[in-house]
Amino acid sequence: MKKAFVAALLIITAIPLLIGVAALPPHGETTAPVHTHISARYLMRGAEEAGADNIVTGVLLNYRGLDTAGEVTVIFTALVAGLAVLITRRKEPGAKADSAARGDVPAPPPVSPVVSFVVQLLAPFIALFAVYVILNGHVTPGGGFQGGAILGALFIALTIVLGEGRTRSLMPRLALPWMQGAALISFVVVGVLGAGLTGYFLGFPAEASLHLVRELMMLVLEAGIGLGGAAIFATLFLQMEAE
Amino acid sequence: MLAWPHWLVVVVLVPLLGAVLTPVVSLRSRHVAPWWALGVMSVTSTAALFLILRVAAEGPFSYLPGGWVPPYGIELRFDEFSASISVICLIGWLAVLYSLRYVEWLREVPKQRIPYYYSLLLLNLGGMIGFVITGDLFNMFVFLEILSLSAYALVAFSGEHIAEMAAFKYLLMGAISSLLVLFSVGILFGVTGSLNMADVATRLASAEPVAPAALALGMLTVGLMVKAALFPVHIWLPDAHAIAPSPISAVLSGLVVKIGIIGMIRVYQIYNSANMIDLHMLNQTLVWLGAISIVMGAFFAIFQDDIKLMLAYSTISNIGYIVMGLGLSTNSSIIGGSAHVFNHALIKATLFFAAGGLIYRTGYRTLTDLRGIGRSMPLTCIAISIGAISIVGIPPTAGFFCKWYIALGAFEADQPFFGFALIFGALFIFIYYIRMVNAFYFQAPTRPEILEVEEAPASILFPTLLLAVLCLTVGPIPLTFIKPAAELLLAPLGG
Amino acid sequence: MLQALWDNLDYVAPVVLFCIGLYIIIAKNNLIKKFLGLNIMETAVFSFIIALGVVDGGDAPIMGADARAPFASPVPQALVLTGIVVAVSTTALALSLIIRIYRQCGTIEADELREME
Repeated sequence: MKKAFVAALLIITAIPLLIGVAALPPHGETTAPVHTHISARYLMRGAEEAGADNIVTGVLLNYRGLDTAGEVTVIFTALVAGLAVLITRRKEPGAKADSAARGDVPAPPPVSPVVSFVVQLLAPFIALFAVYVILNGHVTPGGGFQGGAILGALFIALTIVLGEGRTRSLMPRLALPWMQGAALISFVVVGVLGAGLTGYFLGFPAEASLHLVRELMMLVLEAGIGLGGAAIFATLFLQMEAE
Repeated sequence: MLAWPHWLVVVVLVPLLGAVLTPVVSLRSRHVAPWWALGVMSVTSTAALFLILRVAAEGPFSYLPGGWVPPYGIELRFDEFSASISVICLIGWLAVLYSLRYVEWLREVPKQRIPYYYSLLLLNLGGMIGFVITGDLFNMFVFLEILSLSAYALVAFSGEHIAEMAAFKYLLMGAISSLLVLFSVGILFGVTGSLNMADVATRLASAEPVAPAALALGMLTVGLMVKAALFPVHIWLPDAHAIAPSPISAVLSGLVVKIGIIGMIRVYQIYNSANMIDLHMLNQTLVWLGAISIVMGAFFAIFQDDIKLMLAYSTISNIGYIVMGLGLSTNSSIIGGSAHVFNHALIKATLFFAAGGLIYRTGYRTLTDLRGIGRSMPLTCIAISIGAISIVGIPPTAGFFCKWYIALGAFEADQPFFGFALIFGALFIFIYYIRMVNAFYFQAPTRPEILEVEEAPASILFPTLLLAVLCLTVGPIPLTFIKPAAELLLAPLGG
Repeated sequence: MLQALWDNLDYVAPVVLFCIGLYIIIAKNNLIKKFLGLNIMETAVFSFIIALGVVDGGDAPIMGADARAPFASPVPQALVLTGIVVAVSTTALALSLIIRIYRQCGTIEADELREME
């Protein structure tokens, strides 16, 4: 019964999808509307208009900046949502021992000294690479999110190797909420600055004399996104681990 | 002041930034969070007021973040349908005020979570405002995700036994529906090469072949109807809306499900002005599903003893009314349906606020346990009665005008069967609300201690009564306001 | 029809992936598996959108001295980057919920949970 229902549902889903995508403009040809309409202008003039050789970054930060502001809000929502669901009352000392005795919470297996050594050895290089990815996003593939993800992963690796106590000091209690919100805050700061310079929220000045200002605004955005992303991944990891 | 262009971006970014800063301001004391949220919503409401005055004075207008002309940049567009941000701000503001005492009272919730509650609520409201005012398909998806993610978490917030399960069910269905929306945004981009709604509409008009655009229309409809909880994709709604804290139930039931409807109105705007697909079959399907939703929601509501579960089923039934109004696609039915988006939000928020007040004071939530409560909490019970007569559609309440217009539309469209289905549904609804009022006023209490409880505290009573008064008074306003926009929605069809 | 499907194989593959994901969500019992099904569906939609922007023999849309046309369209890539972030966020919330469900009920099998309700 259930199998028949599942099969029917899949067929009902698949057939219209296949008919629809079969009739799309042929794949990979430059004559498709995807390439001739807005993309064409981005490719033609994006590098000078948006101030980024990497057009994807130009689209993300400049042409469709509001999308990216929304996107960093989505990750912030995930953080707040995770915390709102996960935070529990401080456990009474007895409760933890009790659950450990029942075998609910097995002790984490010890980390191999080789892994521990290699992670610590590589840590500064990974951090350097993350900063490079964040700051170079407008010329090469990369940008705030990618760099933020690398930083977050580095933090998680270090926490596994060194234990929570030593990495938590990287996130002081008073600065942590600022770090988590850094992405949207930097968007609002840059956006208001842009409104002052060009009359439009998130506008970037196009004059040659303000070239440096524009560069700086983009760097602030990238750094904010990177820092915010890393802080959010790290907090979520710590909170899930504590559960 | 009125013409200051930046209000359009202020109204969406203030709640979002306010949400981001909520954990910061509550570092020292978590008691700051509700007042902060209240302040943020006040600023947002002021901005919304200016926007609505402007759209009433000069018609739809746009804002271009970054200064890029559409279709190259994102366009924020404010039209008559966007005026629904007035209810979002009103109910949002009242829900924050209501939460002040209510959330502290939830026993299962650890106190450290509370600032995050206000943060999520602000994100949810900001997401909805953004969704309603954006003129860009992909931007719409982004705001849809902000509001959906925060809604899932708010359902789980109450910490009650099955809250997380209800939230997970909601998340699974909601995520699939968001993916359908994203998929169809991708297809529309593939066909037209554009993401701006108005530009997509003009370019769709000459698009060949039709199949991908039709597929996108179908997927958008299914995806948005899951968010709106139309039959048969309503199954996530009853648990989620009943288990959430009462102010959240009011926001979810009054506002969040309407986002699906407003999204659908946007889709209609695109496809109607492109005029490349005959929408008749889609409309007819929607009318049928709407009619089934009306009757089914009402039918299930009759058998509920839990007051919030009953209200949740009643939401399904009312979504049925709205969808039926849109699907009938005559002048009156569209006016009635889109005005019901406003009016049902007011009515359902009144009912959930009042029900929450009862639960707050007594701790009981079933009709059997709450018998005789009308004697000890008269004001709350008056509010719930006003909500009840309003939702049944007894004149001159808010519900009457909309249902009258939708029924009128059914006869105009020469489909009187649906007019009767509507009246039949109203009869069902009448039965279960009579049952509720009867239990509150005329039955002997099963729990004697219920006669001893006090009236709800001011921060809970004020929002309830204010909305109840609005239910009685503002009914016709959305009708006249939405009229030009509704006529425009139909115009290209020549209807 | 078959010819059209073959020509647009790059769009057909995501559709197949999409249906596999949907199958897992409906048919599997374990909440984490259901959730992985959702992740597969997300991947399907992302690869579909990326495929839209591809040009035969095209290059990444990065300008510079040695950049040579044709370029892939930058818009789908930007959209998918946003989409991935959304998917990560959904994943984080869903896993948090699953953790809480396991803590409260001691199981994450859908049928056992249904019996508990």
